[in-house]
Amino acid sequence: MTVASSELPVISSRHINFSFGEGDLKKQVLFDVTLEVAAGEIVLLTGPSGSGKTTLLTLIGALRKVREGELEVLSRSLHTATLHDLVDVRREIGFIFQQHNLLPFMTARQNVELMFQLHPEVSHSEASRLTVELLTSVGLSDRLDYYPARLSGGQKQRVAVARALVTSPKLILADEPTAALDSHSGRDVVTLLQELARDRNCPILMVTHDPRILDIADRIINMEDGRIQAVA
Amino acid sequence: MYSSFLLAWYQLSHNKVKLAVAAAGVVVAVMLMLVQLGIRQGAMDNSVAVARRVTADLVVVSPRTKTIFASAQFPRRLLYRLGSSDDVVEVGEMYMGQGRFRNPWDKLEFPVSIYGINPQSPMMNLPGIERFADQLEEIDRVLFDGLSRKSYGPVGNYLKEHGTLNVEVNLRKIQLIDSIEIGISINSDGNLFMSPANFRRMFPDRQPGSVDLGLIRLREGADPEKVRDQLSHYVGQEAKVLTRDQLIDAEILFIRENAPIDFIFGMGAAIGFFIGFVVVYQILYTEVTNHMPQYATLKAMGFSDQYLLRMVVSQALILSFLGFFPGFVLALGLYRVATNAIQMQFSMTVGRAVGVFALTMVMCGLSALVAIRKVKTADPADVF
Repeated sequence: MTVASSELPVISSRHINFSFGEGDLKKQVLFDVTLEVAAGEIVLLTGPSGSGKTTLLTLIGALRKVREGELEVLSRSLHTATLHDLVDVRREIGFIFQQHNLLPFMTARQNVELMFQLHPEVSHSEASRLTVELLTSVGLSDRLDYYPARLSGGQKQRVAVARALVTSPKLILADEPTAALDSHSGRDVVTLLQELARDRNCPILMVTHDPRILDIADRIINMEDGRIQAVA
Repeated sequence: MYSSFLLAWYQLSHNKVKLAVAAAGVVVAVMLMLVQLGIRQGAMDNSVAVARRVTADLVVVSPRTKTIFASAQFPRRLLYRLGSSDDVVEVGEMYMGQGRFRNPWDKLEFPVSIYGINPQSPMMNLPGIERFADQLEEIDRVLFDGLSRKSYGPVGNYLKEHGTLNVEVNLRKIQLIDSIEIGISINSDGNLFMSPANFRRMFPDRQPGSVDLGLIRLREGADPEKVRDQLSHYVGQEAKVLTRDQLIDAEILFIRENAPIDFIFGMGAAIGFFIGFVVVYQILYTEVTNHMPQYATLKAMGFSDQYLLRMVVSQALILSFLGFFPGFVLALGLYRVATNAIQMQFSMTVGRAVGVFALTMVMCGLSALVAIRKVKTADPADVF
């Protein structure tokens, strides 16, 4: 990684406003949000529910279209992007959700390997090598061919972490990845995520309520009522 | 590496019970469609079987005749005029009627179809009749159709063992001299073949100068349609001249219009199609609904709508394959059962197999198209 590219912010948003609904029912949830995330940075986004954290995350993840303001993610302008461009951007982002959302009819290995369907440039053998490697590094080398139904909550979330990271995304977006887990396995998952991201110099933007994991952050952004409050 | 087709297979095969239920739905649909369409075709074929057996180039019928199974008669003298055409080689006559055959074992009467034809030159495809041509000229000597229903008693077996059997038909004692295998239809349970003279003895109330059907053989190379037009002038208003094809078409038309074969069996096939559609749709729809979060997740990670749509369509296609072949085999079995039970020939045709396979694909494809609308509503922004 060159110095020049690491200086370029991975996420750069300027004056984003966002509302749900139309007319009388219109409810603005984001007000003038300006934020930057640099390469390799781990940023936590906290705040009470309804503060607009998740909405912001969906905008950055190219899951919703930006209507007001400017948003650049991985050097692409999402405020001018077409739906097709948005789908392209998503392929370079690793997503981790509150629920693991693994496909129940595929094994841990298949769920992770499936991601290479979006990266046809990676050869078959390389894909399976990377898959096994990553599942091993999240401690599931003995669970490769288990279906999700036979994995514990923490194990499933670790498969989800492996799935998000296996194609070497340039950005990880996580939405309360510990919410569905007990404190111990939640902590494990986050530590794993932190280590793997550090190894790859991959920035993370994570929405969380969980006070136990704040220590992994380089920076914590607090949101309230759709505005960024303080940068710690 | 993980094509949408492979994922479709994983998804379908993960729950074996569900897969079996879905496939069973298609099996039932395929079977119903094949059997209903098969019986429809069989009933149709059997009904026009008599017309198809005519080998004469032209036939003469009464203008009042709608079907040869309920033919009106016309004066036989009209037939004598036709020989004057240079193109006509032979003119024959044919009589048809419904008689009452008394089962010699249980002494009950059953309706039977009776044909009066010239055994020397029947101008009908009645294999085996020529062997008995001379015997049939004798008084009250009759041939039995070995494929007739069992209601007449074990006549065929008896004839094989004892040679002849005296029976009562239309209150007249006749002698069955042997049996030939022709086949029955929905119009007739059994057939008797005899000479015109014996036929008139069987139906003493009939006008002796009336005939049901005239059969005309033309010389080699004559154009049947041209000769038909010419002969039509000879018979005038009292009779109608038809080509062989016209006769068959008229019979098919009659069945279509008068017997609800198309409706009943077409309806059966349509119900099969509908059952299959509903079952496959139900399975696909619940699969999609149960996996909405996963589908939305795949979309969030960059999978296209098309990938997911192909996945659902692939499941539909897999189901149509999994359902068709067992359904096809079962239908073949049912054809055999039906052939034995109804004593009419039901057979599978390549056209029907291919057609029903195409219908099955359409059926599953339509279900997929309806289920797909749900996939499109999977919103990746909702996963968070």
